[in-house]
Amino acid sequence: MDLKIRVTLTCNNMLRGWRGIMGKCTSICTGLLFAFTCAAQEPAGERGIQDLKKLSLDELFNQEVTVVSRRAENLSRSPSAVQVITGEEIKRSGATTLPEALRLASNLQVAQVNSHDFAISARGFNQPGGLSDKLLVMIDGRTIYTPLFAGVFWDAQNVLLEDIDRVEVISGPGASLWGANAVNGVINIISKSAADTQGGYVSVEAGSFVQDTAAFRFGGKLGTNLYFRIYGQRLDQNGALDSNGREATNAWDMTQGGFRLDWLPQQADTITFQGDVYSGTEQALPSNTTLNGENLVSRWTHTFSNESEFTVQGYIDRTWRRLPGIFAEDLKTYDLDFQYRLSVGERQTWLFGGGYRLMDDEVSNFPSGALAFLPATYDMQLASGFFQDEISLVPDLLKLTLGTKLEHNDFSGIEIQPSIRLAYMPTKRQTVWLAVSRSVRSPSRIDRDYHIPGTAPYIIDGGPNFRAEKAIAYELGYRFEPVHRLSTSISTFFNHYNDIRSVELSDPATGIFQIENGLRGQSWGVELSGRYQATDWWRLNAGYTFLKERIWQKPGHVDLSSGKGEANDPPHQFTIQSIMNLPSDFQLDLTGRYVDRLPSPNVPSYITFDARLAWEFRKHLELSVVGQNLWGSHPEFGPAGTRYEVPRSVFGKVTWRF
Amino acid sequence: MEILRSLFLKSMRRRGAVRLMLGAWVAGGLAFWGTKSHAQNGVSREYQLKAVFLLNFARFTEWPSSAFENPHAPLVIATLGKNPFNDALEDVVRGETVNGRPIAVAHYSSLESIEKAHILFICESESGQIEKLINAFSGKPILAVSDLENFAVRGGMVRFITKNNKIGLRVNLGTLKASQLTMSSKLLRSAELVGTLD
Repeated sequence: MDLKIRVTLTCNNMLRGWRGIMGKCTSICTGLLFAFTCAAQEPAGERGIQDLKKLSLDELFNQEVTVVSRRAENLSRSPSAVQVITGEEIKRSGATTLPEALRLASNLQVAQVNSHDFAISARGFNQPGGLSDKLLVMIDGRTIYTPLFAGVFWDAQNVLLEDIDRVEVISGPGASLWGANAVNGVINIISKSAADTQGGYVSVEAGSFVQDTAAFRFGGKLGTNLYFRIYGQRLDQNGALDSNGREATNAWDMTQGGFRLDWLPQQADTITFQGDVYSGTEQALPSNTTLNGENLVSRWTHTFSNESEFTVQGYIDRTWRRLPGIFAEDLKTYDLDFQYRLSVGERQTWLFGGGYRLMDDEVSNFPSGALAFLPATYDMQLASGFFQDEISLVPDLLKLTLGTKLEHNDFSGIEIQPSIRLAYMPTKRQTVWLAVSRSVRSPSRIDRDYHIPGTAPYIIDGGPNFRAEKAIAYELGYRFEPVHRLSTSISTFFNHYNDIRSVELSDPATGIFQIENGLRGQSWGVELSGRYQATDWWRLNAGYTFLKERIWQKPGHVDLSSGKGEANDPPHQFTIQSIMNLPSDFQLDLTGRYVDRLPSPNVPSYITFDARLAWEFRKHLELSVVGQNLWGSHPEFGPAGTRYEVPRSVFGKVTWRF
Repeated sequence: MEILRSLFLKSMRRRGAVRLMLGAWVAGGLAFWGTKSHAQNGVSREYQLKAVFLLNFARFTEWPSSAFENPHAPLVIATLGKNPFNDALEDVVRGETVNGRPIAVAHYSSLESIEKAHILFICESESGQIEKLINAFSGKPILAVSDLENFAVRGGMVRFITKNNKIGLRVNLGTLKASQLTMSSKLLRSAELVGTLD
């Protein structure tokens, strides 16, 4: 992500000369901290009747009647803070990349760092350099966070937005099911089945920021109950602006293709194969960053009866990136998971499973570089198991969910992540829920193996004693659908964090610093969201999030940035999306947001909105014009002077479906 | 804008986060108790889905032109017996047309008026008089649909079956053809077929 920029800064700091060892260390360590801050499957949520009408026949046949809790559950009854972004909402927002689409979830903090990098977090802890390490993100069951820094390289996740069925965004811990890293949230990106993407799709975009982008997809049937699709897309985007309003050297291009195969040999079985290949270039000085990768996922779900179901999934993922002069990383992940759902008696549903993951991470450190990951190559293994019991205490009224995940990682050993959730459903349209969960952010390579400079003697000498960061979360929420057309949700939370990462002087004699767990923190907040179908042709979605965070040092710890390196989030943010179907097949859509000031480094608050006007000709041909950032360019992240602004822009799009 | 923002935030800060949360909860609680009673009348998801299926039957079935009085006459989706859909059917068809025809919803309590219907959903309350019903509409261009057991096998046309927690269809092709109705293969390919086409 922003690793490169921050690291460059660090180098600059080093070159500026030695003004006393402490001063230098401070600046480098601040650099490091900024570098830190840099460098489910759920059945479809309960859709409103208007949404059900839009489903294809195949989708309709796949809707669950009464949604039995699998990995998550029926949205309106789920005892957690879930928000769902539908594929249609993404299309109508005019978003061109996945991170832009995630702005539709008001329970996420999304900030664009430059043309290709985003800082994305839930419930805070978006670190000032653009990395966020307390969020678990999955694309069709494939975990995409990197063990390098326990965050996501968003620039390598260029999925075809047209084929996304929905994105489920859970703010708050999901660790008891999903495991480490699901401390503050889980994002599940779920693509449509190949059976639902039959036929062709071609789109071409051209504009002032999104330069020339083209995508195609074709889906067909290979035999009885065997469906496939293939897709490809190319994105070409200008660089974001520097503080003088000139285009900076961070333009981005990305080419990605892939396939999906869904076989339903009989009603009880679903077998899926899918894969992607991608390659991209990001302009940078003195030389460009390059990245590429490929992945292959296979999944088999077998339903024995209404009472039991078995899923097994395996995937291989390779991702590679090279930041010349800084580092290169080649990560290969091999993962195998299974889960079993079983109704036990009248009142209980068990869900249990296990998994094994091997992450073969090969970093190439550049000689005399500014930083190094040592050892350069690390094979990490992760073994996990989980069990959840959902108990209907009073049928249709009171439901208790108990669960825990046990996970073993190479850095910190066994981690236990239990949760208890209680849901009270006084009517079919109301759920009051409360939950207490413990979750951990297990150590990543940036906590353990990070060294500055790239060769000895080191000023920052890794974090040999770094343990997992822990969080206890208390949540209380209420979901209410007063009428068919309106659904609302309020979630409140209080989180207590311990053992948050800090940088400490480990040996005053030599002036060597190490990465430790010297901080504690608290956060609390309120998330409000509502969806309102005002008329048959007009829908409004809105969300507001209030967030307060406090981080302080444990006794005997200092932390070079006094805790300011771990979180930088807006206290208030507000989003609204308006979707209108106008007469004569016109569509007019607006998406607006207000994001409050970020405290440190200071980023001013901003308001902006995107607008889309489209005209559809018999569902086949669609012409649209999208204006993005119409309020004007503004910075969203990073310290003044070195940060970028995404400009006001406009693009036209032609879409053909056949 | 900036002034508005600072006023808004100032008042918020003065009250403080805790009071904001409390306030939100009090408001939520009030809404909760105030609406507890009237929110009961929702319809189950099962019948929401079935209502959408009925709309799709209208979209994917062809009626003989004799089934309509004129080219602009509405297509009528009706229930017979104790209506389990509540308002869901009305919600589903609102604003919808099929081949330029508007769609109307009717609820019948007796057999007399069913001939006006194009799609007739026979409710559970009628389980006692299935044979009589099937005789009454046999040969007429009425798509008879029901949840009732053995409905399709006994000469009804479409039965909703719930299997693996999903809604499936059992379709009797024989009676469908006898009633001069043609159902699109898009629907039939996902349905379980009984009876023969001969």
